[in-house]
Amino acid sequence: MSEEKKTFDFAPRTLGAGFIHKKDLVLAIILVAFGAFMYYEAGKFPEAPAILGDTLNADVFPKMLITILFILVAIIPFEFKITPAKIAKIDKDRGDRTLPITWFTIVLLLVIVSFAEFLGAVVTMFITCLALPLLWGERNYIAVAIYSVVFPGFVYLLFNKLLGLYFNPGILELLK
Amino acid sequence: MEDVIRGFVLLMEVQNLLLIFGGVLVGVLVGALPGLSSPMAIALLMPFTISLDPVASISMMAALYCAGTFGGSITAILINAPGAPPAVATALDGYQMAKNGEPGRALGLAAVSSVLGGIFAIVIFLFATPLLADIALKFGPVEYFGLSVFALSMLAAMSGKSSIRNLVAGALGVFVSTIGVHLATGVERYDFGVQELTEGIKFVPVLIGLFAMSELLTQSKTLNAAVERMSARALRLPTFAELKSLKGTILRSSGLGTFIGILPAEGSTVAAMMGYNEAKRFSKTPEKFGTGCAEGIVGPEAANNAAAGGAMVPTLALGIPGSGTTALILAALVMHGFRPGPYLITETPHLVYAIFGAMLFANFAFLGIGLAGARFFSYVTFIPKRFLWPSVFIFSLIGSYAYSSAIFDVWVMLISGIIGYFALRNGFSPAPFVMGLILGKMVEETFTQSMVIYESNFMNFFDSGVFILFMVLTVISLSTPFWGQIRSKFKPKPVE
Repeated sequence: MSEEKKTFDFAPRTLGAGFIHKKDLVLAIILVAFGAFMYYEAGKFPEAPAILGDTLNADVFPKMLITILFILVAIIPFEFKITPAKIAKIDKDRGDRTLPITWFTIVLLLVIVSFAEFLGAVVTMFITCLALPLLWGERNYIAVAIYSVVFPGFVYLLFNKLLGLYFNPGILELLK
Repeated sequence: MEDVIRGFVLLMEVQNLLLIFGGVLVGVLVGALPGLSSPMAIALLMPFTISLDPVASISMMAALYCAGTFGGSITAILINAPGAPPAVATALDGYQMAKNGEPGRALGLAAVSSVLGGIFAIVIFLFATPLLADIALKFGPVEYFGLSVFALSMLAAMSGKSSIRNLVAGALGVFVSTIGVHLATGVERYDFGVQELTEGIKFVPVLIGLFAMSELLTQSKTLNAAVERMSARALRLPTFAELKSLKGTILRSSGLGTFIGILPAEGSTVAAMMGYNEAKRFSKTPEKFGTGCAEGIVGPEAANNAAAGGAMVPTLALGIPGSGTTALILAALVMHGFRPGPYLITETPHLVYAIFGAMLFANFAFLGIGLAGARFFSYVTFIPKRFLWPSVFIFSLIGSYAYSSAIFDVWVMLISGIIGYFALRNGFSPAPFVMGLILGKMVEETFTQSMVIYESNFMNFFDSGVFILFMVLTVISLSTPFWGQIRSKFKPKPVE
């Protein structure tokens, strides 16, 4: 009995509710919304001079592509009917929620890049090497400290001193 | 002949040899590290090669590509963690052989069959590239448009989780390539008032984001994954007698791998899986597959390395990438000011032969490096992810910034990475997107030129026999992934 119940529950969750795959429907809606916006934007492109002809207008190719995209995207919610095994595999991967650690990593990377220009290359590297391992649960503080000094130092020597790559000094310039 | 000699002389310069050797070392290393990959390494290296001699930097990337394919097999055999997707098939019997107490033999078989597969493909590459380029020289815009549409349609059959999603990713890639000034009319498209977007989205930051950043976010979920390592003592090369008994499998897999590599968009992963399946199909002892059988190692290994060489043929001769990694090499060629396609071999033949030489050198170098350093490479998998991935982020940051010293590119890299991560979760692979992005300009350019030639009537394109041929191939390639499904639907069900 319990085995039967398991089987009954499994199908709708993995393959959407019968006719349409819910998660893929959401995905398709996002892609269609993106396409529709871009199609609308393409309509605003200025027309090419008459001498060049209609087909040379800047909107022709993007509009054609978006139309193809719409056709392909329309299949996505029903793809589980065509290739059930492949979609079940994708469902397995996206079944797990995005972990908080991944969200925190995204936020940290966004913060680092936001301040990268102000901080400068070396300080940004130092902060990355310090913050990312700590965020990811590294508790060997000595190792983190050594890593956050040695690795940016190595990168600085290799790329700036040896290969002559420009490193924005950022905040370090204020110390001069 | 003069060009061949010139290409080889260029390669023999100490600096170039060192770069190629470095490419092999990095290739084996990133191939061995699960999560890191040769496309990622090439994307990260690309901006730093701008100041290098173009021949040396392209040769280095080609060497890295060859070595990366083999590197993945080391960890597949020793720790059952394929460092790269093509090595998945090798793990099936390689790891079993290692578990049976013969890790050295498994590594030796993998290395030698890889080299033989690689050399086979390089020989084909040497002869096929000029021939294909000769044919392609006769192509006009409409034939090229047909060819690039066919190449994009091959994305449906590309290894990945879903054919439709591969095609969607490819179409999105082509779409992104339309951002910026439209060359024919000078109209700015999709720049939304952002100055940097008028130049279009640059390849390099997108490639770094998609290959490195999305993987970093994926890895953040598996920080505590433990690996078990086999001792890699007693490394030994297969004996001549053993190789003789496996020659059929090696030759078949090499031929199959080269052919699959030459097909646009197909890559080493498909070749390796097919190499394994064919080795099993032709084997006298198919029941031994999966238990540590030699044919199960040499089949996929010869095929995946041959596919790497094969994939260079359409990349260089037609300007159509044969795989995700060669799409990056194509981007590097464009970055260095070369014209990939048939003109590459007519204008800069020495470059093509230098690449050929670099791949040949790489095959022998990774035999030495891979075998001598197998134990070391299996140790690198123990570098804690908490330190490895922040380092990758730093290289990504510097790589995307170095390309044009603009923080805008760093944002492009990061945003591409975040989008790439969520796209990956939903079954989209980065390689089809990259192929679309790189082929996009060519598709639009040839389409526009063809429309001008054929007086804005698309139906007139069908006046060209070659275009019709490519359209037929496109239909076939688009329907291929569904053949199995259709066949199984119409197959009579067994009576219970």
